[in-house]
Amino acid sequence: MRDQLRKVGRMRRFGIIFLLVISWAGASEFQFRNGDRVVLLGNTFVERAQKYGHIETALTLAAGDSQVTFRNLAWSGDTVFGDARSYFGPPKEGFDRLRADLTRIKPTVVIVCYGAVAAFEGKEGLGKFTSGYERLLGMIKETAGPREVVLVSPPPVETLAAPMPDMGAQNKRLEIYRDAIRALSEKVDVKFADLYEVMDGSSEGLTDNGLHFTEKGYAAVAPKLLQAMGLKVPEGDAEKMAALRAKIAEKNEKFFHQWRPSNETYLRLFRKHEQGQNAKELDQFDEIIASREVEIEELKKVALEVSK
Amino acid sequence: MKIGFIILLSGIGAQAQNGLRDIPDPDPAKQAAAFNLPEGMEINLFASDPMISKPVQMNWDSEGRLWVVSSGTYPHIVPGAEENDQLLVLEDTDGDGVADKRTVFADDLHIPTAVLPADGGVYVANSTEILFLKDTDGDLVADERRVVLSGFGTEDTHHLVHTFRQGPGGMLYFLQSIYIHSHLETPHGVRRLMGGGIWHYRPETGRAEVLSKGLVNPWGLVFDDYGQSFATDGAGGDGINFIFPRAVGVTSPGAKRVIRGLNPGQPKLCGLEILSGSHVPEEVRGVMIAPDFRGHRINAYRLSPKGSSYESTQLEDFLSSSHRAFRPIDVKMGPDGTVYIADWYNPIIQHGEVDFRDERRDHVHGRIWRVTFKDRGLVKKPKIKEAKTEELLELLKSEERPQRDFARQELRHRGVDVLSALRTWTKAQDDESVLLEALWTFQSLDVTEVGLIRKLVKSRDPRIRAAALRVIYHRHEEIPEVDELIAKAVRDDSAQVRLWAVSCLAQRPSAESVPLALEVLNQPMDEALDFALWSIVREHEKEWVPLYESGRLTFNGNLKQLVFAMTALEKPLSLASVFEGLQSGLLKGENRSEAISAIGKVGTPSDLARLFEMAGTEEEVLDALIEAKRNRKMEPVHGKEKILGIIWEPHLETYQKAAVLAGLWKAEGAFEKLKEVFSNELNTINSRKAAAQGLRHFGGGKVIAFFEDSVLKNKNTSIRELAVSELAVLAPVRAAKGAVIVLQSSEDSASLGILIDIFLKNSGASTALAKALDGQSLPRAVAILGVQRAGTSGKPPQDLIKAFEKAGDLKPMAQQLKPEEMKAMVERVQNEGDPHRGERVYRRAALQCMACHAIGVSGGLVGPNLVSIGGSAPVDYLVNSMLIPSDKIKEGYHTTLVTTKDGNSFTGGLVSEGDQEITLRDSMGKMIKIPTVDVKSKFISPVSMMPPGLTASLREDEFVDLIRFLSELGKEGEFKVGPKPIIRNWQVLQPHERTRDLIGHLGEKIFAERFEGYSWSPMVSMVSGELPTDEMPQVLGRGRNRYGAARFGITSDGPVVLKINETRLMHLFDGEKEIELPENGPASIELAAGKAADRFTLVVNSAYRPEPILVEEQRKK
Repeated sequence: MRDQLRKVGRMRRFGIIFLLVISWAGASEFQFRNGDRVVLLGNTFVERAQKYGHIETALTLAAGDSQVTFRNLAWSGDTVFGDARSYFGPPKEGFDRLRADLTRIKPTVVIVCYGAVAAFEGKEGLGKFTSGYERLLGMIKETAGPREVVLVSPPPVETLAAPMPDMGAQNKRLEIYRDAIRALSEKVDVKFADLYEVMDGSSEGLTDNGLHFTEKGYAAVAPKLLQAMGLKVPEGDAEKMAALRAKIAEKNEKFFHQWRPSNETYLRLFRKHEQGQNAKELDQFDEIIASREVEIEELKKVALEVSK
Repeated sequence: MKIGFIILLSGIGAQAQNGLRDIPDPDPAKQAAAFNLPEGMEINLFASDPMISKPVQMNWDSEGRLWVVSSGTYPHIVPGAEENDQLLVLEDTDGDGVADKRTVFADDLHIPTAVLPADGGVYVANSTEILFLKDTDGDLVADERRVVLSGFGTEDTHHLVHTFRQGPGGMLYFLQSIYIHSHLETPHGVRRLMGGGIWHYRPETGRAEVLSKGLVNPWGLVFDDYGQSFATDGAGGDGINFIFPRAVGVTSPGAKRVIRGLNPGQPKLCGLEILSGSHVPEEVRGVMIAPDFRGHRINAYRLSPKGSSYESTQLEDFLSSSHRAFRPIDVKMGPDGTVYIADWYNPIIQHGEVDFRDERRDHVHGRIWRVTFKDRGLVKKPKIKEAKTEELLELLKSEERPQRDFARQELRHRGVDVLSALRTWTKAQDDESVLLEALWTFQSLDVTEVGLIRKLVKSRDPRIRAAALRVIYHRHEEIPEVDELIAKAVRDDSAQVRLWAVSCLAQRPSAESVPLALEVLNQPMDEALDFALWSIVREHEKEWVPLYESGRLTFNGNLKQLVFAMTALEKPLSLASVFEGLQSGLLKGENRSEAISAIGKVGTPSDLARLFEMAGTEEEVLDALIEAKRNRKMEPVHGKEKILGIIWEPHLETYQKAAVLAGLWKAEGAFEKLKEVFSNELNTINSRKAAAQGLRHFGGGKVIAFFEDSVLKNKNTSIRELAVSELAVLAPVRAAKGAVIVLQSSEDSASLGILIDIFLKNSGASTALAKALDGQSLPRAVAILGVQRAGTSGKPPQDLIKAFEKAGDLKPMAQQLKPEEMKAMVERVQNEGDPHRGERVYRRAALQCMACHAIGVSGGLVGPNLVSIGGSAPVDYLVNSMLIPSDKIKEGYHTTLVTTKDGNSFTGGLVSEGDQEITLRDSMGKMIKIPTVDVKSKFISPVSMMPPGLTASLREDEFVDLIRFLSELGKEGEFKVGPKPIIRNWQVLQPHERTRDLIGHLGEKIFAERFEGYSWSPMVSMVSGELPTDEMPQVLGRGRNRYGAARFGITSDGPVVLKINETRLMHLFDGEKEIELPENGPASIELAAGKAADRFTLVVNSAYRPEPILVEEQRKK
């Protein structure tokens, strides 16, 4: 009993810290605006979110009457340097690729979550990570000039039963990185969402390898992320929300085939003289995605209607 | 010829019919009838469309069901289309060898490329991710889905993560190919792999690691009965590749060194399986079979251990087909003991070369064939899932490999509950092969059974010891006395065991690992061991170098070890003990050479001074000093002036090197001396060339002025030509005018190519040459050469190409045949083309085909091996590639364009990328070494190394014949390179004045004499293996006699039998000793061992003997 009380107390305390953090980081709460183009950026955590759709569904509903579109540009194994995005050239090419994507999409809001990969390097890698992150934010500002940037701390990791590794040390490292990201958000004056904190430092029961969320895990994390961003967690009819989520996942699949197409070597890179003629097919996705977005907007209205 | 050619084509185009779509009949009966099976083999259709379509990979489960992933989406999803590729489960419920039940396990996949039922579900490769799908309610439809790993690249959909195999220790192995870049986040950290490679993954711990890197597009992986691993490559030509940890195969990005496969010159292979079990005839058990999907056949190889690696001999084909859509891409032993073949069924394969949306691509058919052997009983499938643990353990003794594998898999699935039974059972076994199965079963359960490992590393069978070390490789952290076990293995009698010992050490970075690993140098080395040792020395640099530098590591005074380590590392290290070894004479022969070369690679300026002072007149020392200056910009701290003394060495090679060095060092007084040698007409051309090189390296304004002066004022033509080419290197713009004069007057086309290349190194120079050519005329052949050279440079200079065309009055090349012209062309190739005439065209020296391309083991390495090009490339593709070589380029054959800081550029195939230099192979097969410090940028170029306009000299009918010949290569028939070990590479004697007079006195023995003045040039056999006597250079004899003389060696280690087709008017010499041949008819000659490449001389009187020469080498039994 006493333990429970203590836990509640601790949560309250964190809650207070959390509120303080938000008010330090941004003068005002984050809000969507009509016409926002949101880019989601990060590593595996954000990349896989596009397939399940929980996070984007929650954000879509949180936008309320505002019409908002989302582009998930996350990449497994990615870092603030765009390490996972380069193909045949030097790692720098990955960063340039992201720059080109952002130039094309011109997001008004960018939600970024890096640090999970870098944290494996511990304190030693921290300096490189923060200066790299700052450079990335500078590039985002310069290319897209979004009205809002939100830095999300990586979620905690989970220690599963042996022989899976003990992730306790990694969580400690993640805390250090979280602190650094928060400090960075203050330095460059962008918003900060402490996902690590709202999850109380634990992803227990939510992952299948200690790092990556299962579908249930994403369902649990999505409201936490909204909470960390200071957004109201939407409630509504489960069935209607599921329909919206399915459509969002479908749209994401189409977008994925457009922005990160298979056979890129032949469509756009050094063998484009062989299949470059087929790159024009990629433009056809514009209309396909747009039509899904119309449907998403409809399904959102239906879902919001129910919740009212 | 071009204009006439096009006009004529258009004429035919008008009459061309619609019959061009040469699509084979998809009727399975027709396809079945087209098989060519060896005696005793039968084939039946296990499954076909519409039951299945487009199978990509297949694997059996323990219940006798075949799991198949299929992709109709390949090669590229259509916008708006659903991801709807399938995972199918096929069952033969009545045991008649034909699938009668099909269940769709999943139908929302995107180009799935691998499947493996295991761990109570099924692993599926799904483009960017590996999924684990599970059926929880027994309807054989997936209802649970988990992403196991994600972050695999998709840059090419036939390179995607693929080829699942469960290793003997229970890990999941998977492969990726050259264009894929993967970034996997695991709980043990992020793991990245750029380019090809083989991964292993243990689901229980979430650990994914790279086993080996490289290979172009490897889609075959097997483990033999001792757990050794082998791979095949669907875009590489080395047959079977031996895979060991940290091995690096061809085309791995940034590879500093690669290791080749066991059968160079083989067709590309997709899939790999080992024939085993009681249904398979005894004589083929253990044989590896691998589909040659281009050639519509399945190749066979037998391996035997050789040193730390293996020797692989190609056998007769397992089977072949004349059906052009038969595309075997996977092959697996089935639970009934028969062999199953997945047939992708498609007239079109590959996708770079043929449009994604080409309508000839097949998206609906697909077959699985089942191969049985007559009068041999089928294997009875045991119940696995229902079996008691004890029954499963007994199955580990089965002679049927699938039963052992499934028993182990099932025991793994049952988990730790079976451990005590396994331990009890293991105690009762004494056969070491069975104990190895037990060890793997423990490993499959993620348990390190230390006692068993201890026992098996002491096995009398080196293969079992090596297998035990492979388990140690993965589980070393859990073995208390691991260091002792490995140390013992480093000194093992067996090279195979030593290789695994070095691999184990690579897993354990410590101060002791490298010194211990280097002890393998005390026993015979081979390529694989050398590679593994080289690799650990580099990988563990941080562990041993500080110790060495502080004097705490001395390699026990073993200089051989130290020199190996230093050479491998390519970094500066203290060289005191090496110098002592050189001076005391302790380092001799090869070790001495290696030590000198190591000093050049890593020495400081003081070291270099010491080396120069010690032995400055030795060629090896001069080479080392040149390399130090070129690659590291380092030169002796003092004493350089002594080089002037060496310039006058009478030995030409020494002199050349000294001249270069004098120039590189800008040694005082060198300029005057070199100038003097260069300008003196009395000197030989070679010494003048050497002086020119020295001056070139000296460089600077006064050297340029000197060469310019020589171009304008020197009366001697050869000096002028030399000056032009040197000036072109140093100041190309100023050399352009002089170069035009040389191009107009010189008769030496080889040196003209080199001269033109100099101007192609930068755009300023090529433009200057273009301007200088304005208003001038060139001989047609020179102009063609110019267009060809310019056309293959990394960035073809259009202005220069036009200038050459104008100066030589050449008509511009047709860039593209119109569709109707192409149609007519393809029809002509099929109706009129004669492949035999075409082969003769192919072999013409002027066409240069053989200089760059090999067919099987014979020919150049610059371009792709053409051994099975006819099986894979449609005729229109061949025509197009010949006319516009840069249009489509095979993976692995793209050229790399390196630009250096001085603005020059170099083009060629990337051979290796060392820390100190990048090596390219240019279009003439020449190696270009570029110091890394000089490199400004490096790109993959879209330009082919194959020159455009090669066919400009051909008549139209010859062109048609040539294409027909290429289109037959690798297809069933006369133009398939067979597995027989036929002598295919020869050195033929060029005419020499000596022969005519002396032959009367000495007879044919004169050709066998080791006379240094003879000139031998390479020649290869026809595809059939025959060497045509009329193509051999004619060496004059008395009267009307004309001789063809060819030298050759054998490849076998032991004694051999040479089988000769026809001995009429033929003489054969072993060394200089004549071997008696029958007057006529075939002969078999027994010979002792000996592998010298020029061991035999074969002479025929070609004026009177039209029969070609065919010599087969058989190992003596």
